Amino acid sequence: MTGRGHVKFRDIVKMHGEFAALKGVSFDIEPGEFFALLGPSGSGKSTTLRILAGLDAPTAGHVFIDGKDVTSTDARDRDIAMVFQSYALYPHMTVAENIAFPLEMARLPKAAIGSAVKEAAQKVKIEHLLGRKPGQLSGGQQQRCALARAIVRKARLFLLDEPLSNLDAKLRLETRAELKKLQRSLGVTAVYVTHDQEEAMTLADRMAVFMAGEIQQVGTPAEVFAQPNSIDIAGFIGNPPMNLVPARYTNGDILVAGHRLKTAARLPDERDVIAGLRPSALRIAPDGLKAQVDLVEDLGDMAVLDLNCGGTIMRMRVGDHDVPREGDTIYVTARPQDIHLFDPTTRKRL
Amino acid sequence: MTARRLRAAVILAISAVFLLAWAFPIIWSVLNSFKTDSDVLAYPPKLIFSPTLGAYREVLFGSGSILPNLVSSMIISVGTTIVTMLMAIPAAYALARLRFHGKKFAGFYVLTTQMLPPVGIIIPYFLVLQTIGWIDTYQGIILIYLSFSLPFAIWLLVSYFEDIPLEMEEAAYLDGASRLRTLWRIIIPQVRGGIAVTVVFVFLNAWNEFLFAVVLSGNTVRPVTVAMFNFVSVEQTLWAKLAAVSVLAMLPVVVLGVVAQKQIVKGLTIGAVKGGGRR
Amino acid sequence: MAASALASAETGNPGAGDFGHALAQRERRFAAALLAPAFLALLATTTFPLIFLVWTSTYRMNLAMPFMNGFVGFENYRMLLIDERFWSSLLISLVYTGTTVALQVAIGLALALLVMDMKRGQGWFRLIAILPVVLSPAVVGMIWRTFMLAPDFGIVDFLAINAGLGSQNWLGDPTLAMVSVIAIHTWQWTPFAFMVLLASLASLPEDIYEAARLDRATAWQRFRRITLPLLRPAIVMVVIMRTMVALTAFAAIFTVTGGGPGTATEILNLYAYRKSFIELSIGYGAALAVALLIVTIVISGVLFALRRAK
Repeated sequence: MTGRGHVKFRDIVKMHGEFAALKGVSFDIEPGEFFALLGPSGSGKSTTLRILAGLDAPTAGHVFIDGKDVTSTDARDRDIAMVFQSYALYPHMTVAENIAFPLEMARLPKAAIGSAVKEAAQKVKIEHLLGRKPGQLSGGQQQRCALARAIVRKARLFLLDEPLSNLDAKLRLETRAELKKLQRSLGVTAVYVTHDQEEAMTLADRMAVFMAGEIQQVGTPAEVFAQPNSIDIAGFIGNPPMNLVPARYTNGDILVAGHRLKTAARLPDERDVIAGLRPSALRIAPDGLKAQVDLVEDLGDMAVLDLNCGGTIMRMRVGDHDVPREGDTIYVTARPQDIHLFDPTTRKRL
Repeated sequence: MTARRLRAAVILAISAVFLLAWAFPIIWSVLNSFKTDSDVLAYPPKLIFSPTLGAYREVLFGSGSILPNLVSSMIISVGTTIVTMLMAIPAAYALARLRFHGKKFAGFYVLTTQMLPPVGIIIPYFLVLQTIGWIDTYQGIILIYLSFSLPFAIWLLVSYFEDIPLEMEEAAYLDGASRLRTLWRIIIPQVRGGIAVTVVFVFLNAWNEFLFAVVLSGNTVRPVTVAMFNFVSVEQTLWAKLAAVSVLAMLPVVVLGVVAQKQIVKGLTIGAVKGGGRR
Repeated sequence: MAASALASAETGNPGAGDFGHALAQRERRFAAALLAPAFLALLATTTFPLIFLVWTSTYRMNLAMPFMNGFVGFENYRMLLIDERFWSSLLISLVYTGTTVALQVAIGLALALLVMDMKRGQGWFRLIAILPVVLSPAVVGMIWRTFMLAPDFGIVDFLAINAGLGSQNWLGDPTLAMVSVIAIHTWQWTPFAFMVLLASLASLPEDIYEAARLDRATAWQRFRRITLPLLRPAIVMVVIMRTMVALTAFAAIFTVTGGGPGTATEILNLYAYRKSFIELSIGYGAALAVALLIVTIVISGVLFALRRAK
């Protein structure tokens, strides 16, 4: 089964009248990969998925699946299965009939359909619900039914459009883990659209981060987290996201709110920069930057502090043992390698 | 008696008056249909009398039987309903879902066709049908009934099609169903409720139509609403028989009204929310 | 957002933009195929007759005197403007429409408010209210004309006698005949307004009334300041729908008075019918029908403008 589901996007442009929903998007997805399309709403990630599915036609550019140009291939002929955000279950059919529908359309013999339906239902643990109608299912069960309908056909590509967004928080975490296991066991290529960076980080082998109709970065979650290549990504990834503060670079140091911090980065000249500091990278040190604790959000096993460093607001994550109190004055610093520098005008990483 | 109980009593009294006002003419017709002519004409009006089926026997099996007219009404109504739905369902789906140039105009056109005064378009119908020899035929009447049933049906169905999420169709398409199969297997089963509502209204409107029927019917095809006039003439009114015919003409729609109560209220309410619509 | 891509693409030609065009074209063709039967039928049964009607209205076409037939241009319309019977029928139409619609909405709304909080008995209202609405106006007219309004043994006359008003010629007296046809139309269609307004009332959110109560609004204030404004769209829609129907009402007057006595209840619609099919003056009848169409368009235009207005 390996080798199935290789996706190549080349310079895809999608115009809605004057508005460019996608401004030339290119990326590759390897067979068997769990690939996430991550971005805020309106960034073009869903449009990308719809173009890959063949539900929308691109204005320019080419889509290849398994080496074949499918740009002009009909959605029905692309051998793609999809789970919709709303699940799009057929309300007048039972769960079994829903799952059987794609096979029925493929004109499989009745017996083969029956066993395939059972197998798919078992994989997502809804075999006891086959006789019910979607309206009689809970949200989580509906979601599984939609998954079963998508996997039953053993398509070469498995598209998921925010499949967890309609579940409550606890169920979302459970399903997330199961989804990953399911994809691994099927060995199928999965493309996953989400606006939730935590979901993308935990699920994806690799991800593409969309901003305003463009891909700003492609990489593994770890790479994107460790080396965000623009201010926008830095501000989008991580919870709470990276602190981005104006600073001045001079000779291996940066000047933040009147305090000097060492950085690992080396720039040719002295210049204005935006310094990025993850809340988790900040630590308390006597020779650090003076900060007043404005607010403490205690999350039980850790706390998030709102710090006021002479007018510059930063957030910091601390463990549950040494939580300062509101109104305290503390001194914070960061390791040189944890300080990211960005260009304030191009917004790119320096 | 407390103010609250007085209030309840007043409400009850007003309610009773209105319920009686709405029900009475119908009940009274039913009672009269079981009377003899002299009982109908009695003064003061008789609530208690010895009932007879004489009037029904006469109008159903007598010389001037209206049985053929009831059959005519039924053929016209069922025929109109079938033809209307066959045309309206695909059209409403296209208007609700598909993207094409002039869609707004097409929707507006459907709405405006409902504004034509029937008395205006009956003149051309009469002249044209006379030329092609379709006066006093089922096909002639059913064709003309499309002029009011079709816009109404399309316009009512569009709102039901619009309620179905687009993702449902996309899912079916990715599952490998063709457009027609998607429409047939996925979409239409989901608008069954809306189709039922529309069928009820189209049937009622066709059964109750009068103006077109008066002008376009003849001795062969004469619905009961028109045939009823045989019992009222300048010289004499056949009271009990008229009552019996009225009851027979009301019977199918009243039964439908009671059975499809929910659908009718739904249809009326959608109409009021969306606007337009003739009845 | 239409099902833009739900069309089979042509195989072969590669360009991305072409694929989009192919999809759009597929969609258009599919739409055309689905719309064609209904729109052909509508063209044949509404638009064509309309054109024919306007054309007819420029002819003298009298089936009783066919030798006089011929093109007369605007002659029929010129005659219409000085035709007193036309103006009187127009006035009767407006009075009939105005009073019946006002009565339906007023009574329907009052009853809906009355019944709204009723726990038991609402079902009876829903059931009984359906009955007049489903009946044929022709049958309704016939029942009223005979068993309700006939002198002496007609129930209405019987009640009038017992109330000390004496037997009245309900359909023979010009004023009473007008009152009668208005009453009959109101009887039949008030349940429509009642059911629609009841459903709209039921759909109003409960919590705003609770909030208003906490804000110490009296029952009357709650009605004036909350119920009425929220109900306005539904009321306007009922008015529009009922007006369109009342303007072209036919059977319920035709069967009851036939427009009489004389022309006392002859609405414009009925006048056009009589001219065309009794007097067989089809050209002039067509002009009257066009006039009715213009009146309908003007009135609905005003009402729809009212609907859009805040």
